[in-house]
Amino acid sequence: MKPFLKTTLAALFTAGLWSGSTSAQELLFWSKQAKPVEEAQAMRDKVLSGFEGDVDFQPNDSGPWLTRLQAETAAGSGKIAVLGALHGDFTTIADDLVDLSDIDLGDTAMNATFMALGMLGTDEQKYLPWMQATYVMAANKKALEHLPEGADVMALSYDQLIAWSKTMAEKTGSPKFGFPAGPKGLKHRFFQGYLYPSYTNSMVTKFASAEAETAWTVFKDLWAVTNPGSTGYSAMQEQLLSEEVWVAFDHTARLAGAFNERPDDFIAFPAPAGPTGRGFMPVVAGVAIPKTAPDMEGAKALVAYMTNPSTQIETLKATSFFPVVDVELPADMPPAVQTSGAAIAAMSGAADANPGLLPVGLGDLGGQFNQVYVDAFERIVLGGEDVRAVLDNQAEELRRIMNEANAPCWAPDAASEGPCPVE
Amino acid sequence: MSTAGGRVAGNDRLAHWVFIATTVVLCGWVLVPIWLLISNTLSTASEVNSFPKPVVPSLNTENIQFFLTFHGAGNALWNSIQVAFATMIMAISVGAPAGYALSRFDFRGKNAFRVLVLMTRAFPLPLLALPMAILFIRVGLDDTVIGLAIVHTTLALPFAVLITFSLFSGIPIELEEAAWTLGCNRLQAFRKVILPLVLPGLAASAIFAFVISWNEVFAAAVLTIEHRTLPAFLLQSLDDAPLHLKFAGGTMLVLPALIFIFLVRKYLFAMWGIANR
Repeated sequence: MKPFLKTTLAALFTAGLWSGSTSAQELLFWSKQAKPVEEAQAMRDKVLSGFEGDVDFQPNDSGPWLTRLQAETAAGSGKIAVLGALHGDFTTIADDLVDLSDIDLGDTAMNATFMALGMLGTDEQKYLPWMQATYVMAANKKALEHLPEGADVMALSYDQLIAWSKTMAEKTGSPKFGFPAGPKGLKHRFFQGYLYPSYTNSMVTKFASAEAETAWTVFKDLWAVTNPGSTGYSAMQEQLLSEEVWVAFDHTARLAGAFNERPDDFIAFPAPAGPTGRGFMPVVAGVAIPKTAPDMEGAKALVAYMTNPSTQIETLKATSFFPVVDVELPADMPPAVQTSGAAIAAMSGAADANPGLLPVGLGDLGGQFNQVYVDAFERIVLGGEDVRAVLDNQAEELRRIMNEANAPCWAPDAASEGPCPVE
Repeated sequence: MSTAGGRVAGNDRLAHWVFIATTVVLCGWVLVPIWLLISNTLSTASEVNSFPKPVVPSLNTENIQFFLTFHGAGNALWNSIQVAFATMIMAISVGAPAGYALSRFDFRGKNAFRVLVLMTRAFPLPLLALPMAILFIRVGLDDTVIGLAIVHTTLALPFAVLITFSLFSGIPIELEEAAWTLGCNRLQAFRKVILPLVLPGLAASAIFAFVISWNEVFAAAVLTIEHRTLPAFLLQSLDDAPLHLKFAGGTMLVLPALIFIFLVRKYLFAMWGIANR
């Protein structure tokens, strides 16, 4: 025992506790995406191994991710070479990012909408689009026999989804529809990009309209036949695999585990449609370079590498996030990519498709914007408060945020002059 | 008809059973979660998600292998050990003198000091991390083992001070005075008489410091990059990982700490007055 301790202590002090950066010039890729162990591993082994230099890929929770970046910016020097995050994360730190418009993308045809999003309302290219995803529905094949008569699973309506969930609950004895309403669940995106566009053809302007009242009433009906454990769910792949639920809504990356593990047991299908179309929300992640990056040349080379068509395909395999450039997908894709890819194509290609974009121009008010929808959900659905009263109340908060951010409307709301109005 | 003697015997038997039941419950309290963790680690992905689970896992090593080949995990483990030991040493070498002073001397602001020591735990780390990281980058402590150990020492210090304070208070001052009359100076008296008596307690509070450092994630994630500790390296990645890898990763995090506690258990038991030598 004692010799063990002594040798350890001796080793400790000779090991050079003060050693700072000792290893060779590695580019630090400070990412908020591709965090799950398997994805991080694939990013290192498959995606970044093809880059000419050494890359240290470090995925983080949003707290440490942002704090470290802020500290480096404030200190004026840093180690982070490249940032990887969602569009919404960059909106708060636009001032700390370098302009990427001088990067030569070669023949790569980048999605123009996403390139425009990457300017973050400035006249500089603050981030380059990196990858995209969206939210779809997933179902265990056992659930399909309970589909309402005449319903096509690839083109459901909200009423049919409710009827379906009700039948499943009655036939199996427990609610089989699951919704990611846990603390880390992405419920707010469902209300912003799916429920509202489907019922009001709006995300912001008609927040408190009569149509919105209907939308929340419909959602309450759905909630009545939803698994009550939903308030604890975050990534629905878990409950799908354990068969706690049979049908679920979630981000494609958070369903991928189920599709990959048991590809024959699950299907993916488009989100349901309401009176004003089939609302859905594309999600875009980007890569950017902070002003404090130690090796600007290397960082820019890495950012350009991430947008290569071949890198984009490897990224898709690693993370289940889809390319943002024009690229032909090879046939040997993992099951999750094939399954959700088909659902996404059906959803975005549907005649009644009604895409709702991620919030634009909110800056650091993005979190408060999401909170408006989460609060509405908690008060109306969980708290059972009066729909009209809650919407009027929350609309004031939404109006304040839009005015403070001075953000014009984005799709599906019609473009506005000045801040997006909340009627 | 029961005699007085019979009643006593019955009570004895009852006490015996209560003792056994309590022991079983306490052991289960500790062992069942560890068993679940390890048996799920050694199961295949489909077994982890199925219910009911097989009693004996299939001894599948795929999950373990994933982490053994996980880029940087070994390095992170070594960093964790270094930080935890440095924290342990610093927390005791600063905390024990403070505890001794609190128990032996009267000085102005003694009570205020005791409260102030606790105050370091009143501010959440996410709040402190930003200014601290800026400072560390400026003075060159950023991304060093010693820098992170300093932060963890501040977290562990209140416990080190308060535990050692009660340790020293439990030893009569007369023992020290006797040593002085026999020719020891203050330092010698401390080293030859007091230290051997409090050593087990010191070891226990050192283990406490070790565990605090081992479990800390936020500061480690912000303040280190190349010298990332195991929890900072793994914990964030386990959050969204599939269930079977969560279990395997959990085992990876728990096992080294378990081994350490096992190695030093002698000192722990000694503190609670159980001879185990």
